[in-house]
Amino acid sequence: QQTITINIGSSHPEQNIWVYAMKNTFQPEVNRILAEKGEYTVDWNEAYAGTLYKFTDTREAVMDGIVDVGMVGTVWEGANMPLQNVTYFTPFATSDHKMIIEIFDDLSANLPELRDSWAENNMVHLSSLITDSYDIYATFPVNTMADLQNRKLNAPGTSANWLRETGATPVDGALTTYYTNIQTGVTEGTLSFASGILPTRVYEVAPELTRVGIGSMYFGGIAANKDFFDGLPEPVQVAFRDAAKATSTAHGDYVADLAARAMTEMQAAGLTVHELPAEEKTKWVTGLPNIIEPWLEQTGDAGKTVLKAYFDALRAHGATPLRNWDEGL
Amino acid sequence: MTDQTTEVPDDGTIPSFSRAPVGAMLGVVAACLSSVGTLWIGGLMALVVADVLGRNFLNAPITGVSEIAGRSVVAIVFLQVSAAVLQKRLTRADFLLRAIGGGNPRGAHVLECAFALTGAVVFALVLWASWPKTWEALATGEFFGVQGVFTIPTFPFRLITVVGAGLASLCSLYRAACEIRALKGGGV
Amino acid sequence: MTTLTLGFILIGVLILLVLLGMQIAYALFIVAFSGIWLIRDNLGLSFKMLELTAYSGIDDYLFATIPLFVLMGLLVSVSNVGRDTFEVAEELLRRMLCGLGVATVAANTVFAAVTGVSIASAAVFTRVAVPEMTRHGYRPAFSAGTVAGSSVLGMLIPPSLLLIIYGVLAEVSIGGMFLAGIVPGLLLALGFVAMLMGVTLLFPGFVFADPEAARERRVAVDVRGMSATTMFAKITPILLLVFLVLGGLYSGYFTPTEAGGIGAFGALLIALGRRSLNRGKLWQVMKQTGTISVSILLLLIAAGFYSRMLAIAGLPNAIGDLVRSGGFSPLGFLFCHAVIILLMGMILDSTSILLIMVPIAAPIAQGLGIDLSHFGIVTVLAVEIGLLTPPFGISVFTVHNTLNDPDVSVEQIFAATMPFILVMVAILVLVALVPWTVTVFL
Ligand code: NA
Ligand code: NA
Repeated sequence: QQTITINIGSSHPEQNIWVYAMKNTFQPEVNRILAEKGEYTVDWNEAYAGTLYKFTDTREAVMDGIVDVGMVGTVWEGANMPLQNVTYFTPFATSDHKMIIEIFDDLSANLPELRDSWAENNMVHLSSLITDSYDIYATFPVNTMADLQNRKLNAPGTSANWLRETGATPVDGALTTYYTNIQTGVTEGTLSFASGILPTRVYEVAPELTRVGIGSMYFGGIAANKDFFDGLPEPVQVAFRDAAKATSTAHGDYVADLAARAMTEMQAAGLTVHELPAEEKTKWVTGLPNIIEPWLEQTGDAGKTVLKAYFDALRAHGATPLRNWDEGL
Repeated sequence: MTDQTTEVPDDGTIPSFSRAPVGAMLGVVAACLSSVGTLWIGGLMALVVADVLGRNFLNAPITGVSEIAGRSVVAIVFLQVSAAVLQKRLTRADFLLRAIGGGNPRGAHVLECAFALTGAVVFALVLWASWPKTWEALATGEFFGVQGVFTIPTFPFRLITVVGAGLASLCSLYRAACEIRALKGGGV
Repeated sequence: MTTLTLGFILIGVLILLVLLGMQIAYALFIVAFSGIWLIRDNLGLSFKMLELTAYSGIDDYLFATIPLFVLMGLLVSVSNVGRDTFEVAEELLRRMLCGLGVATVAANTVFAAVTGVSIASAAVFTRVAVPEMTRHGYRPAFSAGTVAGSSVLGMLIPPSLLLIIYGVLAEVSIGGMFLAGIVPGLLLALGFVAMLMGVTLLFPGFVFADPEAARERRVAVDVRGMSATTMFAKITPILLLVFLVLGGLYSGYFTPTEAGGIGAFGALLIALGRRSLNRGKLWQVMKQTGTISVSILLLLIAAGFYSRMLAIAGLPNAIGDLVRSGGFSPLGFLFCHAVIILLMGMILDSTSILLIMVPIAAPIAQGLGIDLSHFGIVTVLAVEIGLLTPPFGISVFTVHNTLNDPDVSVEQIFAATMPFILVMVAILVLVALVPWTVTVFL
């Protein structure tokens, strides 16, 4: 029996939605699969919770082999891995996060552009990571688009794009700043997702949730360093692939459970839930400028291919994106 | 920590060119970089204030302040570190060293020289480690921020790290040379 | 040799280098670099970790608080607001035993409310209080020790860089941590006052160069008085600044970094308003801000690199396992944790201790049912003691550097801070035993 040492790590702690399944599904699954044959055992060297690197460095950490397997937040890699961020530039596609996992597990393995982009960054994509759907948590309900006029909302990163032409001003921030921002009137709400809002208790100061369904987003992937992965014995590679499938399922279930629990707990704590009427949602969707444009300019032909493949997959999975961002490709 | 034999006075003023040409050149370059860093701190304050005022009174928050401020902190360090090396302002516990220097000034110079060389090695390592990514960033047009919202190239920031670390390494070497000269001259 | 053994050996090497007088940042860098190389037998990994740490180790909005709060502290100091605060405290407390020492503590307490780093307090009051105390017959080393000792208030009384870092690491609300720090901070200030008076009474030789002269000066009646109006005029600017910074922070209107920026700007306006700032002086202040900030920030980068090396050696996990298998009671764990931090505090800087300890210890504490704010204040108190303990006590170094007096050696200042360390340990025990002191405002 041969022992293989694997360094596994993340910038976020083990309870985090993107790390949870690494520790609680991926590692035990690899162990279990390898134990069946009894040829190999793994000595896991864990470096979770940012002991080795920060969230800004998740790509470099796996790429450079600081860890052999790690959580890679492509959402923070707009410069080096822009293709993976297609969902953030195509809002209102689907709120079904499990669908996003399925689509990106498939595309990351089989669409040359995405697969190569992982390979160019010296990584092998194992399992997709996502967020649940984005909604508006605010001090006010949103019944019509006019309600957003002259409001200030926390909308960090790409999500600032989603507020264009709505009359609302996006204010930068992070999950950790929403609470005080809203409490003090710096902002009046935020674009965010249930599994993120629950632990930060933002619902205490923003008790009106308007379900918009801006959509579930592809956040990144669990990936292995390519040199490391290529050097693994074939049975271990197979174990990795199989464990990754189980990890994707576990991640989807975990986020679903957490989002459901969040809704129950937040409503028990006084959160009122509203639904943005369909015609108002349509106004928002059609009113948005062509926010995919700068992304297409940056990514060129590869971007076009990825966008088309993503939207084809969405429709094949039965989703009806509210805006055909792939139109005219 | 007073060392009368070195050409670079401890108050951080630059030695005259005729007395110490290398020290003068390094001192001038370090002082220039350091001044940029100093101005940058003022800019950082102005940026934060403008964001707070803009957000609260003008309904015009500045996008990306937190990312820019974060990157600025790193830039400020590498812009100013060379001057700190020349002025011997880096934090240390020098009680034992001074005790040694009291009884055996040559021993103290040897230690000081070793430490300065360590500094030169450390900054050279930083330079060596940062070099490839810097040019990679230039070649790939790496940026931080968000496409369509705001983007700022990372190359200038990476270049500051490389230049700052390189100059700090030279300054450390110069300090080591000063210690050796003091050792040879037996100056106390 | 196990990596764990290697990890402990590397810590030993670090201590040796630091003791010999190597620049702490160099020592941390070189030990961490060789450590990663040896542990993983991979030189490339050392370079990659170094690159990551140098480029993004301190790339964080929160770290911008450091130059900003330092700038505010120095502007406040150059506009003589620090001196005025000290003078008002001096006037009010002149008659007390060890009046100038108590005034230093009192002024530091107020000043702590506008500065987030102890270094700033240490730098400001070295310039303001030490010459005044020396002039009045206090031993220079004692004066310097008093400034170093009371400077720790700067990081316990909010705003505080350490509380910010703890809040980030333990995922606790930073505003909540600021509220939690109030009572322990005030307790510490009162403890310092009681200690100063006790020491003066019992060991006047420790306090004064000339005890008799100082006593005469204290009881003398002819000292000029300061009118209430003058006092009010002197104290108003800092109270405004405290209101701006603390008010903004407590209401949550400002993030800590914004409080730093606004505070620095406010201090700039005050300095300009008092005409105590011309272009040359402003440039001096800015340059000094840079010098102070760069040495802290470089240390933060180096410490980050070093703590990553320790993580690779598996040291934090090993300690965590040890604690979990030890079957500790919550209080027992709290005290062990504090003792470990005290030991680390002798050789490491505050931020790296937090970076190394909190991620291991906070989950264990939470599992044992300890309130994380309570745990945080105990942690930060223990960490702050490290600012004063030899061989590496950064507050003492700052005072020593700022003072730049060849007659006052570092070890003399270390000796003078000993009573402060004892008070801090006492308050640490009190806070650990009585969680109410922390949670009262929460
Ligand atoms: Na403070
Ligand atoms: Na210490």
